[in-house]
Amino acid sequence: MKPILLIALNFVREQRWPIFVLLLWVVLLAVVGLFADLPRERDDLLFIFKQIAIYVIAFSVFFGASAIYNERRSRRILGVLSKAVARDQYLAGLILGVTLACAIYCFALGVTATWTLGGAGFPISQVWFLMLCLVAACVLAGTVALMFSTFLHPFLAAGAAALVLGLPALASLTLSVRWAYIVPVFILGTAVLKANFKSPGGLFWFPVGLAFLETFFFWALATVIFSRVDIAVEVE
Amino acid sequence: MLEFDQITKEYRSFSGRRSIHALDSFTVQVEAGEIFGFLGPNGAGKSTAIHLAMGFMRPTGGQGRMLGAPFGHSHTRRRVGFLAENVALYHRQAERLIRFYGALNAMDGSHLAKRTREVLQTVGLEEQSKRNIGKFSRGMLQRAGLAQALVNDPELLILDEPTSALDPLARVMVRELLLGARSNGKTIFLSSHLLSEVELVCDRVAVLHRGKLVRLGRTADLLQSSERTEIVARGIAATAFAGSFAQNGIVRFSVPAADQRLALERVWSLGGEIVSVNPVRRSLEEVFLEVTRDHDLPRSEGAQ
Repeated sequence: MKPILLIALNFVREQRWPIFVLLLWVVLLAVVGLFADLPRERDDLLFIFKQIAIYVIAFSVFFGASAIYNERRSRRILGVLSKAVARDQYLAGLILGVTLACAIYCFALGVTATWTLGGAGFPISQVWFLMLCLVAACVLAGTVALMFSTFLHPFLAAGAAALVLGLPALASLTLSVRWAYIVPVFILGTAVLKANFKSPGGLFWFPVGLAFLETFFFWALATVIFSRVDIAVEVE
Repeated sequence: MLEFDQITKEYRSFSGRRSIHALDSFTVQVEAGEIFGFLGPNGAGKSTAIHLAMGFMRPTGGQGRMLGAPFGHSHTRRRVGFLAENVALYHRQAERLIRFYGALNAMDGSHLAKRTREVLQTVGLEEQSKRNIGKFSRGMLQRAGLAQALVNDPELLILDEPTSALDPLARVMVRELLLGARSNGKTIFLSSHLLSEVELVCDRVAVLHRGKLVRLGRTADLLQSSERTEIVARGIAATAFAGSFAQNGIVRFSVPAADQRLALERVWSLGGEIVSVNPVRRSLEEVFLEVTRDHDLPRSEGAQ
C-alpha cells in the first residue's frame, strides 16, 4: 500500500501546476459569489458552478491519458519500477494520484459552493453528494484513459476513452437510459448538470458504487495489458 | 546471482514486417561477489540485457533469473540497486529524492534517514542534500542516481554507464566505491564504454556485439595475448632483434609466440642471458577492438 500512496503523492506533486491552474476556476466562482446578488442571481451562479464542475471530468481524462507517457518519455519510470514496485501497484498509484488531483479540485469547489450556493439556499448535503459524484466520475474516466494509454499515444488514448465514455451516453439518449449504466460517467455528470434550486436531486448511490467497481475492473484490465508492455522502449 | 539463459529479444515494427534482434541467445552467469564488466559498441544490446534483467522488458525467448527469482519479480528488486544510462530523476531536494526511492523499497523511519545521509556522503553530495535536483549539473545528477541505487544497501548493483558524466576525481570515487562494495560481498554488473575503468575494477568481462556474446572471460586472461611473447634479455646487442628496445644493458623485444623457442635459443647462442619471458599484455581497448572487428559482418540494421 505504501508504494501506491508514494506514487500517488508524487503524481500530485508533479501535476501541481495544472492543478493550481484548475483551482483558478474555483477562485472565479468564489469571486462571482462574492459580488453576486445571491437571491436574484443564484441561477447564474449555479450555472457557473455546473460548468466549472464538469470540466474536471475532462481534466481527469487528460491526467489519466498522459500519466504513463510522461513518465516513459522522461525515463523517470525506470527509477520507480527498478524498486520493489509491481506494475499493478504502479498503475494503482497513478489512478490514486488522478483521484487525489481531482479530489483536491472537487474539495475546493465544494467548499466554495457551500459558501456561495449554500448561502443562496441550495442544500449543502447535496453539494457534497454532487462532489462525490464528480470524484467517482473522474476516477472512472481517468482509469479508462489510463488503461488505453498503456498501449496508445495519449491523444489516441483520450479519444478512445471519450468513445468508451460517450457511446453509452449516446445510447442512453437514443435507446434506453439503462445503457448509461454500462459506464456511468454520463449519469454522474448529468446529476451535476441537472441540479437546480427547485429540485436539487436525490442521493442515488448506485451509479457512484458502480463507478468505483468499474474503476477496479479497468485497473485490472490495464494491469494485464501493461504487464506485457516494454516500458524501456522509446515512446517518441 | 544474475543469470541469462539463451535470452533472445526481438523488436518488431508495428506492421510486424521488420524485426531487429537486439539480443540473440545470450547466455551469461554472473557469480556472487564479482564485478562483472559488460562491454559492447553502441546498439550492441547491453541496455536491452539490463532492462530485461530489471523486468522493464519481456524476452522474446529464453529465461533469466536474478537473485534466484525470475526476471521482473518485484520483491526481488528490494535487494537490487539500479542506475540507468542517462539518469532521470524527479526534481526535488536531493535528500527527499533519495528518501522517496528508499521508501519505494519498503525502507522507513530512522533507518532510511540514516542510509540517506550515508549514501549522500558516499557520493559526495552531503553538502548539496538540500538543493533541488533540477539545479544539479549532469555529473551531480549521476551521483544522485548512484545514491538512489545504493540507498537500500543492495546485494546486486546493476549500473549502466555509471561514470559517463563524471570528472576524473568522481570516477576515482566510483571506482573505490565499487571495489569497496565487492570487498563487502556485493555483486556488481557494470556496463560501460570506459574500458580503462572496466579494466581496473572488473573480475570478468563479457563483450556483446550486435546482440551476440562474442567474448567472455576473466579480465586478466583476456588481456594476456597468446599470440606474442615479450622477452627481456641482457648481454646481447640491441640490434640483435628487430624492433627491440635497449636500456641500461637490458634488451626488450617481442616475438610471435610460435617463434618463442627460436628466439630464446638465439639469445643463448649470442651469449646473452634471459631475464624474463611473458605473454604480451594488451589493453582492454585493444581486445575490444579486435573482438568487435572480428565479428563485424555485414548486416542491414543495427540492434536496438
